[in-house]
Amino acid sequence: MTGEKSEGRVGPRDQAARTGAAAGDRAGGPAGPSGGRAGEPAGPSGGLTGPAALLGVLGQMRPDPWRLLLGAVTGAAAVSCSIALLGVSGWLITRAAQQPPILFLMVAIVGVRAFGIGRGVLRYAERLISHDVALRGVVRLREILFARLAAADQTVAAGLKRGDLLARLGADVDELGDVIVRGVLPFFTALITAAASVVALWMILPEAGMILAATTLMAIVAVPYVAGIGGRRDVIGTAQARTKMSENVLALFDNLPELTVSGRTAEQVAQIARSDDRLSAGLDRAARPAAGAAGLGSAVMSAAVLGCLVVGTQAVADGRIREVALAVLTFVPLALAEVVAVLPAAAVSLVRAAQAARRVAPMLEAPVPDGRRTLEVQARPVPIGGLPASRGLRVVRELPGLHLRAQNLAAGWPGREPAVRGVDLDLAPGRRIAVVGPSGQGKSTLLRTLAGLLPAAQGHMLMDGTDVGDGIDLADVHTRSLRALVHLTADDSHVFGTTVRENLRVAKKDASDEDLVEALGRAGLGEWIEGLTDGASGTGLDVVVGDPAGPGQGAGTHLLSGGIRRRLLLARAFVSGAPVLLVDEPAEHLDPATADDLVAEVLGSSRAGQTAVVVTHRLSPLALADEVLVVDHGSVVARGTHDELIATYPPYRSAWAAERSEQAA
Amino acid sequence: MRPLDPRLLRQARAARLYVGLTTGLGVATTALLVVQSLLLAHIVAGVATDGLSFTDVRPQVVGLGIVLALRAVLAGVQERFGHRAATAVVRQLRERLIGHAVRTPEAAGADLALLATRGLDALDGYLTRYLPQLLLASTLTPAVLVVVGWEDRLAGLTILLTLPLIPFFMALIGMATQDASDRSLLSLQRLGTQVLDLIAGLPTLRALGTAGAQRERVRAAGDAHRRATMKTLRTAFLSALALEILVTLSVALVAVGIGLRLVHGTLDLQTGLAVLLLAPEVYAPLRAVGTQFHASQDGLAAAQQAFDVLERPVAGRGTTPAPDLTRATLLFDGVTVQHPGVPVATPGNLTASVRPGEVVALTGPSGCGKSSAVAVLLGLREPTSGAVRLPGSLKLADVEPESWWNQIAWCPQHPVIVPGTLDENVRLLCPSATDAQVARAAAVTGLEDVVRTVPGGWHSRVGQGGTGLSAGQRQRLALTRLLLSEAPLVVLDEPTAHLDAGSEQAVLALLRELRSRGRTVVMVAHRPALVAAADRTIDVSGNVSPGLETGSQMGVPA
Repeated sequence: MTGEKSEGRVGPRDQAARTGAAAGDRAGGPAGPSGGRAGEPAGPSGGLTGPAALLGVLGQMRPDPWRLLLGAVTGAAAVSCSIALLGVSGWLITRAAQQPPILFLMVAIVGVRAFGIGRGVLRYAERLISHDVALRGVVRLREILFARLAAADQTVAAGLKRGDLLARLGADVDELGDVIVRGVLPFFTALITAAASVVALWMILPEAGMILAATTLMAIVAVPYVAGIGGRRDVIGTAQARTKMSENVLALFDNLPELTVSGRTAEQVAQIARSDDRLSAGLDRAARPAAGAAGLGSAVMSAAVLGCLVVGTQAVADGRIREVALAVLTFVPLALAEVVAVLPAAAVSLVRAAQAARRVAPMLEAPVPDGRRTLEVQARPVPIGGLPASRGLRVVRELPGLHLRAQNLAAGWPGREPAVRGVDLDLAPGRRIAVVGPSGQGKSTLLRTLAGLLPAAQGHMLMDGTDVGDGIDLADVHTRSLRALVHLTADDSHVFGTTVRENLRVAKKDASDEDLVEALGRAGLGEWIEGLTDGASGTGLDVVVGDPAGPGQGAGTHLLSGGIRRRLLLARAFVSGAPVLLVDEPAEHLDPATADDLVAEVLGSSRAGQTAVVVTHRLSPLALADEVLVVDHGSVVARGTHDELIATYPPYRSAWAAERSEQAA
Repeated sequence: MRPLDPRLLRQARAARLYVGLTTGLGVATTALLVVQSLLLAHIVAGVATDGLSFTDVRPQVVGLGIVLALRAVLAGVQERFGHRAATAVVRQLRERLIGHAVRTPEAAGADLALLATRGLDALDGYLTRYLPQLLLASTLTPAVLVVVGWEDRLAGLTILLTLPLIPFFMALIGMATQDASDRSLLSLQRLGTQVLDLIAGLPTLRALGTAGAQRERVRAAGDAHRRATMKTLRTAFLSALALEILVTLSVALVAVGIGLRLVHGTLDLQTGLAVLLLAPEVYAPLRAVGTQFHASQDGLAAAQQAFDVLERPVAGRGTTPAPDLTRATLLFDGVTVQHPGVPVATPGNLTASVRPGEVVALTGPSGCGKSSAVAVLLGLREPTSGAVRLPGSLKLADVEPESWWNQIAWCPQHPVIVPGTLDENVRLLCPSATDAQVARAAAVTGLEDVVRTVPGGWHSRVGQGGTGLSAGQRQRLALTRLLLSEAPLVVLDEPTAHLDAGSEQAVLALLRELRSRGRTVVMVAHRPALVAAADRTIDVSGNVSPGLETGSQMGVPA
């Protein structure tokens, strides 16, 4: 029965852990083969106890009660067949020894065969049913989590690192599916079977029934309790030790060349050995309660066998039961022992799943934005595709053009100090703004806040108005309508593992192939798309592309280099046709000439009436911008046109001169 | 796949104490089971047919109690120590894999890291469950069969004849389903990836405002994955079903024989009961081997992968001490690196020299082999042909690596952040640097600005579980490390990839500083400002074999 331990683990967990680990490391966060930091609940409601979280999450998975019941009953029936098989065979041959006419035995012989076949078939059915229930739950939970995070307050999803996201929705959710098969159903099965066995024995001999009731109760409640609760800390500790060890291994392998040259490998290897020591010690400690539970379970069921045998022998001597019943009395507890033997392992899997549930539960409670975001806004002159009318939304205004305005804006991640403060910015339709400054000074955060993806830490983001009372606060605009108005190309935007066409249409469902090719051309990928093939039938827009850092690619996937990836994301922005384009560093990974062309192209979007804000480190193309903001040390330290800044702001002038001298060289 | 890999068995020898313990416990448990069955049969048969009273069978009941108690103890001991075999073997294999990787740093990657962790962990099932069962099947099955045959020859013969059917049918089913399960595993992986891809893209979909609309796709992809999984499971569980039915039918055959002979009075009940209880135990180890087979395959595959890696040859290491790099001129002599699957050699036939104290820029479009040239120079990669030559007709391959690396400070594209404080990280290459030296170096690279902004300053924790550093901040940290190092040769790989025009000044200041200290600098440079700051440039693409496309940015490994 221990084979259950590893069967049916067929979720996408492997890949989740793989990319989760890789992505987590890159982000400087936890990398977990067991799916993130075991035992450390994430988020504000991490105070939820394990069992409560587990119940809540399992409830959300809404396992079909009928299927669940069917699974439990089938499982119980399969196990009952084993027990009946042994009981009836015992009766059969004891009866046969009394040499009755053979006809008397026929029913029992048929019974033996039926139970024998039934056991196998029912077990097969039970395994399929339980896995199906579990997988349905997994699909459902993942869908709910996805929808929750899609709708939740901006800050929730934004606060999750990519690696965390994959670990929670990948490995943790799989674990929660597993627990239905390996943790929940075994208990149901054991309960049903034990109840049936107790009733059967009670009918033969009440004392035997009582003995079996007392012992199985212990085996179903006390023994798993010892294993689960007794081993809880070690189970969690072991998971943490394993995570730690894997992190260390990954850290070594990722940086091996550098560590080798700097002569630091021995140290890292020693650290791995230390964490492996801790893991071994943890496994050894965790084995103690497991051993206690196994011994106790075996002892309890042995007591049942022995007790039934003793009372049965007495009863036969007293003539209260017939001789043949004695075999049944002893063989039933013997067979039941096998059923309850899996329960300690089931309890441990419940403990593990409770940890996963504690990490997942806060996401289910992720705050959904309050009643504010109800205003649907459409801007006119730039065609953005019709927004389907949605219930509960009010189309308040159809704007002549989208005019955004930042007033004394502070941008920052919720719960942290704002990265930039005091930004005033007028984004009239068609305006071209560039933001420059050293890296790590909050330019990207500012861009997210301008896009309405992060709430303003202070001040206001207004739409179509000159003052607070008069304009629409971005925080009031319905998310979907806002997203159609403002398009952000972030530096960590995702390239999906699908065709170039689908990757672009994500920004606008009904874009034609001509639109897509044109956008690619604007992003400097015209030649690239013409020459693109996947080595088989697909060419151009039909080629499946992938991010080398993404969750694994199939055969025929064209992996994108950093420069191409950036430009594909930019093409997506052009496809969107949004009135406001916010682009974070289109020039990275590109040679200076190409980089400048792209920055110029983004700023040139105003030709179509689009407003453009671009964060860049290239200064030469900024002559095209209406205004350049220099962000440093948490505020706008200088602003003006390119020429004004060259004239009045020495650091800008010298940086620009440096850039120009490079070009000359 | 072979169920037993001799290499793994050799490895498992390290843990033979615990494998032996597990097997010994299995033998003891089965022996107790035999005794238990015989005692039970004696008691039940005695009471049922010979009219014995409880007092008559009391010694047997006490004996049964002892046997059951012993079994409980053995069960506990098995749980307590059974895992140690796996723990020990997995640990050892991991150590060997890591040791091998450390000696071949260029071949190590995330895949190998995964193999060394999750992959090998899967061996647990193989070592704690499958292997002991296999040993039990090969020893206990015949032993119990002998006991049964001793009790009742006909029953023994029946079992002997049915036993071979099990491996035969299992092999048959295995062969029939192999193709199907291979195919469905592939589609499973693909579908699983689809779901994860959507999840990974969730923040992007949110930014596009279309995340809500993708809910359907998440469900559809999940459902497709579920259906594919169920299809795989239907086949996978089929072999367990067949096994179960085979065993049941075999036992039933034995039971019917016993029953008939009991009715005819040619067999006594005690023997009948004993055989009935023992017959399933003959099949039990084989059954267990069958059910554990699939569970153990992942681990076995991982072990075989690990052994394949371990058997890859480690290039011989040079033994000659490296020459003093403050005086030695380095020569790229026709260095060519052919990447697998890439038609062009990058670099192809690179010939150039680097004199001590020079600042040299390696230039050329991305993908032309700059990083590979650096890897060759660092001694991390063997060129396909050509060599890095040193004075005294010495080749880099003949040089003792540690003495070479001791003289090099290298800043790669993605510099390492070790878990620890900023201070520990900055002293990575030179733990003995004074605070004043650190402060001075940090002022040159602009790291001091970073330190001012992070809470905790120099003592703030970075790396795993600590404050995240942006790419630019990481880069400054790495540059400061270079400045603190005493190594005569400094190698920089695209040091300004993440810095903006203003911060470029920091790199230029670093170069000035290094030059004034007489260091030799080899840097991969994209930006003209850096190229201009070098004494000399080596155009790596100029060394690519003529007539082949070199300007491609289509992901040719750099």
